[in-house]
Amino acid sequence: MLRWTLAKILQTAAVLLIVSAASFSLLKLAPGDPVELMLGDDYSKESHQTLMVQLGLDRPLPEQYVDWLGRFVRGDWGTSFVSRTPIFQYAFVEALPVTLTLSAAALGLALLIGVPLGVLSAVRKDSAWDAAAAAFSLTGSAFPSFYLGILLIWIFGVAFGLFPTMGFVAPWQDFWGGAYHLVLPAITLSTPFMALIVRITRANLVEVLEQPYIAAARARGEPAWRITWVHGMRNVLMPLATIVGLQLGALLHGAVLTETVFSLPGVGRMITDAVLNREYMVVQAGVMMTGCLVIFTNLAVDLSYPLLDPRLRPR
Amino acid sequence: MAIDHKQILATTLAARLGRRRLLQGAAATAAAGLPAVARSADGGHIKLAWIDFVDTLDPHFTSYLGAIKIHNNIYNGLLKVEYDGEKVSFVPDLAESWTLLDDKTHLFKLRKGVKFHDGEICDAEAVKWSVERVWRGTPKSPHAWKYDYLESVEVVDPLTVKLNFKNPYAFLPVALTGSTGRAGTIVPRNAVEKYGKDFGRNPVGTGPFKFVSWKENDSIVLEKNPDYFEPGLPKLERATYLIMKEASSAVAAMLAGRVDAMGNSPLQFISQLKANPNLTVYSDIEGNYSLMAMNCRRAPFDDMNVRRAVGFAIDREALIKQAFFGIGIPAYTPISPPMTGFFDKNIAKSGRGQFFDLEKAKAFRAKAKTQGTIEAVILTSEQGQYGTRVAQTIVPMLDKIGIKARLELVERAAWISRRNAGEFDMLDMTWSADLDPDETIFPEWHSGNAWNFSGWSSPEFDKLVEQAQVVLDVKTRRDLYVKAEDILMDEAPMAILTHMPEFKILSKKVKGFKYIPVDSLDLHTVSL
Repeated sequence: MLRWTLAKILQTAAVLLIVSAASFSLLKLAPGDPVELMLGDDYSKESHQTLMVQLGLDRPLPEQYVDWLGRFVRGDWGTSFVSRTPIFQYAFVEALPVTLTLSAAALGLALLIGVPLGVLSAVRKDSAWDAAAAAFSLTGSAFPSFYLGILLIWIFGVAFGLFPTMGFVAPWQDFWGGAYHLVLPAITLSTPFMALIVRITRANLVEVLEQPYIAAARARGEPAWRITWVHGMRNVLMPLATIVGLQLGALLHGAVLTETVFSLPGVGRMITDAVLNREYMVVQAGVMMTGCLVIFTNLAVDLSYPLLDPRLRPR
Repeated sequence: MAIDHKQILATTLAARLGRRRLLQGAAATAAAGLPAVARSADGGHIKLAWIDFVDTLDPHFTSYLGAIKIHNNIYNGLLKVEYDGEKVSFVPDLAESWTLLDDKTHLFKLRKGVKFHDGEICDAEAVKWSVERVWRGTPKSPHAWKYDYLESVEVVDPLTVKLNFKNPYAFLPVALTGSTGRAGTIVPRNAVEKYGKDFGRNPVGTGPFKFVSWKENDSIVLEKNPDYFEPGLPKLERATYLIMKEASSAVAAMLAGRVDAMGNSPLQFISQLKANPNLTVYSDIEGNYSLMAMNCRRAPFDDMNVRRAVGFAIDREALIKQAFFGIGIPAYTPISPPMTGFFDKNIAKSGRGQFFDLEKAKAFRAKAKTQGTIEAVILTSEQGQYGTRVAQTIVPMLDKIGIKARLELVERAAWISRRNAGEFDMLDMTWSADLDPDETIFPEWHSGNAWNFSGWSSPEFDKLVEQAQVVLDVKTRRDLYVKAEDILMDEAPMAILTHMPEFKILSKKVKGFKYIPVDSLDLHTVSL
């Protein structure tokens, strides 16, 4: 078990290294020059050269990479040359909690509504409930999140004035204020995900409910809720955990759009801005953070399999 | 001759000064007469949705209008811009008076007892240091060129400072304003030296508001400066600039009443904002022009007749309808409506400049070296107010004079890089300028200047615009600019397109806002 876990962690580390190298080199190969962007209208050949040297961008790529990686691991993420603030502070201390809060709220909402809805449509297969849930999940997954976000803003923010349309209030400082501000963004971000969860839950549960052991449980006279939630759902947890792990990347990229639409100062907005401004260091920090998030979640999912399914426990 | 110029400037100034003093006196008496209760009704917290990019709050190092609109609430210049509904004028701000000893020597008497937000005294020494920071400081300020003719800065006494120039310098009033000029914005030495490069993130000024915080991608917060030198101002307690990337979200917040003002808005939302009874939308045409630049360094646009043909082939009215949502006016030459004394209100009938005349365009096209179809690429980018719409609308217009234009859409960084390197046939862009023609013409089109992306050069034009910098008399200057513009528009390194409004959107709850047709959103007199 220990060896298996260690091997998984080593694999993860290797993937991280590849991610870091790729994110580092891809942006450098893209056309456009950060120095010219920074100089704006004050561009001249001399000022360009001076700034290049100042920023260390005149050195060979591998040297820049090794230098950056070494300092990154030590928590020295450099200073943003646009905002003049330490990137670690900006990315990790300020932006990451926003994205994590938003993603957690969306994930929670998706599970809280998606799972019961999926169960309902599996148990009442081919009923009106089932059809409604299917329609919802189809619409939900077809809606682009930026469009849904703007739609929600116009309906609930402008027309009815029920919810705030922008800004972030930290729930750990003001829980209700934070939750109130998160309502629309969390719905926006969770909708496609919720739709997916409904479908996965339904499909798997329908299959499970046809298994002989469920029939046996029914024959034993166990109550219906126990059959569904205890015997049935136990075997749906595996595919659900897999989907959560796999879809976390999609959730984070949805966060980019959601954060932009709702003006939340999260990682998604940070990365988009930084890409447009060619702020290499900030993009790298952002990609590394989200990369780590996805990779570690998948590691956690991998490690959870043996807990969820005894057959997968290594001997 | 020189005496004349000085007198003209001095009389205009004196007239404006007199009136302003009077108004100020009246305001002061009124404030003093009010009971304490009434005054405590002031205050309030204004929230502004900010969709423009803010690079730095160091006024000497910015080149973004979104930042400049904030600067003006933190800093003061030696001079400031006033607007009476028709004319713009330049009046002393940190200075108490501004006198021209002769046409090259400017004497400023400063206000007594003005302090920076950190307690440092704003006296003649501070002004001298600040001017020198722009003039020849390191790193070099992008506004340093505004002091190219400066010879020395002298401290006469603690409250008097003298600027000696090598020759008369007509652009100076604009350069010295706190709002658009930036070269005369006064910053404190101690704070600049303390924060170094980070001063732009920790700004300290003399203005009505003190800096509180700047949270990346979230907000910039200012609070009332209780020691501000203009009596009774500011009225607000706090101002928060909410940094929003997505303009439709900002508009939604504005319509829902969750913010009180917007510093700008994309064109497509203007009619919706104007239709809302709770909002006031300021949309005067300002000092700017949009243009289609043509690369004079290489074929096909090294041929002047091809360029001239393009200049007359573009239907500006149709362009405004299709690409600008009907907002803006056709431009004939670069000088814009707010440049009082220089802009010709009858320019449309004067026959000067460029305008839509397909026959004329075809005649020029017939004289071109290359007949038959010419292929050209328009380099464009999804940026600013117009995105790719201008380029898209112009393509079929060029088709009519036998130019097959193809769009090449690149993202902003690549666009800038290729523009600076001169790797394009055509590209569309805009220039925003101050209230003086110099900045709208000289840096953009003078030979060899870094902003002259078309690579155009005309010694005769250069001579005229150089001369116009050192003449003070408005009429003489205007004649020089007319000649210069005629050369520029005739040789056509660009097709000039439109002058556009700048937008300021305020909720009706906002009281006391003084509109000025420059890129500022001053909160000095505002209350909620």
